[in-house]
Amino acid sequence: MKAALFIPCFVDQFYPEVGKAMVAVLRRVGVEVCFPAEQTCCGQPAFNTGYWDEARTMAKHYCDIFDGYDVVVSPSGSCTAMVRNFYPELLGEVRHASANTFEFSEFLVKKLGVTDVGAKFPAKVTYHDSCHTLRELRLKQEPRTLLRAVKGLELIEMSEAETCCGFGGTFSVKFPTISTAMDDVKCQSIVATGAQYVVSVDSSCLMQIGGWLRRRKLPVQTKHLAEVLAQT
Amino acid sequence: MSARDNILNRVRDAVRTKAPRPPEPSAAPIWPPMGEAEARFREEFTALRGEIVESLPEFLAGFAKIATDKSELAGSGNVPVREADLGVTSCVCLVAQTGSIVVACRSAEERALSALPPVHLVVARRSQIVLDLEAAIGVLRKQYGGGFPSLISVISGPSRTADIEKVLVLGAHGPKRLAVHFINK
Amino acid sequence: MNTNALQFRRATEAKAFDLDHRAIVVKNTNTYHAAVARGIARFADWETARCRAAAVKWEVMNHLDRYLEEFERNVQAKGGHVHWAETGAEASQIAVSLAKQHGVRKVVKSKSMVTEEIHLNPALEAAGVTVLETDLGEYICQLRGEPPYHIVTPVMHLNRAQIAKTFNEKFGTSLDATAEQLAGIAREKLRAEFLSADMGISGGNFAVADTGMIGLCTNEGNARLTTALPRVHVAIVGIEKLVPKLEDLALFWPLLATRGTGQFLTVYNTLIGGSENFHVILLDNGRTKLLADAEQRDALHCIRCGACLNACPVYKAVGGHSYGTTYQGPIGSMITPHLRGWQDWSHLSYASSLCGNCADICSVHIPIHHHLLHNRRNSVRQHCDPLIQRLMFRVWLWGVQSASLYALGGKMARLAIWLGIAQPLARAWTKRRDLPEPPRQAFRDWWRNNERA
Repeated sequence: MKAALFIPCFVDQFYPEVGKAMVAVLRRVGVEVCFPAEQTCCGQPAFNTGYWDEARTMAKHYCDIFDGYDVVVSPSGSCTAMVRNFYPELLGEVRHASANTFEFSEFLVKKLGVTDVGAKFPAKVTYHDSCHTLRELRLKQEPRTLLRAVKGLELIEMSEAETCCGFGGTFSVKFPTISTAMDDVKCQSIVATGAQYVVSVDSSCLMQIGGWLRRRKLPVQTKHLAEVLAQT
Repeated sequence: MSARDNILNRVRDAVRTKAPRPPEPSAAPIWPPMGEAEARFREEFTALRGEIVESLPEFLAGFAKIATDKSELAGSGNVPVREADLGVTSCVCLVAQTGSIVVACRSAEERALSALPPVHLVVARRSQIVLDLEAAIGVLRKQYGGGFPSLISVISGPSRTADIEKVLVLGAHGPKRLAVHFINK
Repeated sequence: MNTNALQFRRATEAKAFDLDHRAIVVKNTNTYHAAVARGIARFADWETARCRAAAVKWEVMNHLDRYLEEFERNVQAKGGHVHWAETGAEASQIAVSLAKQHGVRKVVKSKSMVTEEIHLNPALEAAGVTVLETDLGEYICQLRGEPPYHIVTPVMHLNRAQIAKTFNEKFGTSLDATAEQLAGIAREKLRAEFLSADMGISGGNFAVADTGMIGLCTNEGNARLTTALPRVHVAIVGIEKLVPKLEDLALFWPLLATRGTGQFLTVYNTLIGGSENFHVILLDNGRTKLLADAEQRDALHCIRCGACLNACPVYKAVGGHSYGTTYQGPIGSMITPHLRGWQDWSHLSYASSLCGNCADICSVHIPIHHHLLHNRRNSVRQHCDPLIQRLMFRVWLWGVQSASLYALGGKMARLAIWLGIAQPLARAWTKRRDLPEPPRQAFRDWWRNNERA
């Protein structure tokens, strides 16, 4: 199985370890990966701010790059949702790249049928459902299934697992007070679980959550699902 | 051009283009199967704090000022509705699924009977119990055909409010107590 | 920034970290969610109920002219009157004329968001008519001189002590009065008003086309008394409130009650029809604009259950008053620019993280968050966006189409953070959150150096 990697802009620039971890896990389960270097951004920032013409240009750009690959895998539910759910409306057609881009946990569980990637991570972990992953891609059990198969990992559910962390892209800086109030509610729920790590499939959420936790020196660290699954 | 013409013209222009149709809903039943109607009515009605009156004379003895809708079942009262501490009415039907009582009113006096006095008693026949809301609407259609009375109310328990800290208080503006008596026929 | 956007910003800044406010809202919404969960459990197939309701509303909204005419015919056939109002001001004036015509000195009102929308009370008061709110929550708002905080639960933001204080100031009653006692005081005060009012004004949850009747769903009985005792009854409804036939209420009544409060049915589901003292005012006030937008027409399917407000993390953070307009929360943010103008109200469509909880919960399957995206697109198309933002995205587009320019931009951003100069520039982020640690190498650099075959 061959897969092209779609590494979203902020993972590429700010969380490269997440990309590296995903590569390691995919190779471990026998997937041959490549990284088309012309990729940049899926266009979501423009799309979400109402600049659909600009977003459309980037959507075409993405599809031109990725149409030639059977399958594209991304460590971001948010960007995958943009490509799969919103590109058709934006482009007025369903392009191959759009229909065949998968979020990392979705790819492992639903496409490869893999639930145990041979990972080991003895720690108490809680999982944050990022909104796009939960409500656009309809993935809730897949990341949890993968986490439960990790040796030594104890998965604890938080009461506000499905509640938005407050990132919302430019919302986080356009309405920072509301965004951080939501961050506060989320982090209280995380800390209340007693978990050592909060895990998500979206680094954008982890940036929001991590930013709040670190400012207050709270005893929980953020980890992307790929980083947990890469541990052996 | 009147406001009516302007609005209707705008509406007609707008709906020339249809919005995308939502997916066809499944034919699956929305409600779970129900048990026996009277048992279900009693269960729902009492859960809503409705009272089932077994002995009518005993119940009525507790009230000095009674107003009624003067129907065969409700009998006649002794005071106008504004002075009553009990309002007695008949009903169109009772709904087992929701524990509701359907009343219909043709006059202002009748409207006030089931809303103004602090206690409302409905005298009904067991045969008036229907299974669900759909059946109740069927009864209304059959009974009134094209000429519906000016007010129909589906009443589910005594009046209540939870506006203050979501604490349930019975007896807001409508009756504080709702009771039903089944006559033995 | 326009005044509404500025007012919203100020209000939300004040409320978002008001922890007392947050505690009350959280407590009330948790109670609500628990009750609704019990309510949904009564259905065998809640999802099908939603789909059926969406289908019925699609039918109405896409043939609205026919259903409006049918409704009017059936009201008039029984001696009732139908008035049409293009604007809120017109609707208020019709109500005022009716009051004058019938020598009305006092009006009792049952809860109606539409009457808030058209600012009915000030219009009546200016004409010398006394207006009393009779819904307990609205009555409390009236005593406090505040608008309602939530479309279903007007005083969700107040606790018992605050309400008791208001009653103490107005009536001299005890500061320790319980919820039951407070409701009792309101009942007693308003009873006299019901009995002496000349006109009752209500809204309408549903307008039934085939029988020409208005459906009202309440718990308190105040709508019953509003429509039973005064000699004239005026019902004001938006044109979107239509349902085709009486049988549809067997679905909509439980749907509304379940998502509204978790009840199977509200205590009083009342149908009021024609009689010569019955007047219906059908209100447009911008609804035909939304109707004309086939892409977003389904926003008019809304049955005003309030579920989206209770599901919205933004609403829960900032509360209903912050929105500064009649319809709050997700649905309110979505419809307001259509009803009241894009320049003044687009900002509400941006005040959302687009989490989508509203769409998941909507009783009639309105994709509210997707419509917020559509609104953002519409707002940009109409040049309501700040020039600097428009330029920023042009620059962004130019940079992001080239992998090398984009990579350079990324390097600069990381360098800025590492040097510590991002801090003041990114103040919006850094006031309450740390920035991420900038990595030395982007993923693409690592791939190029280590992995390229």
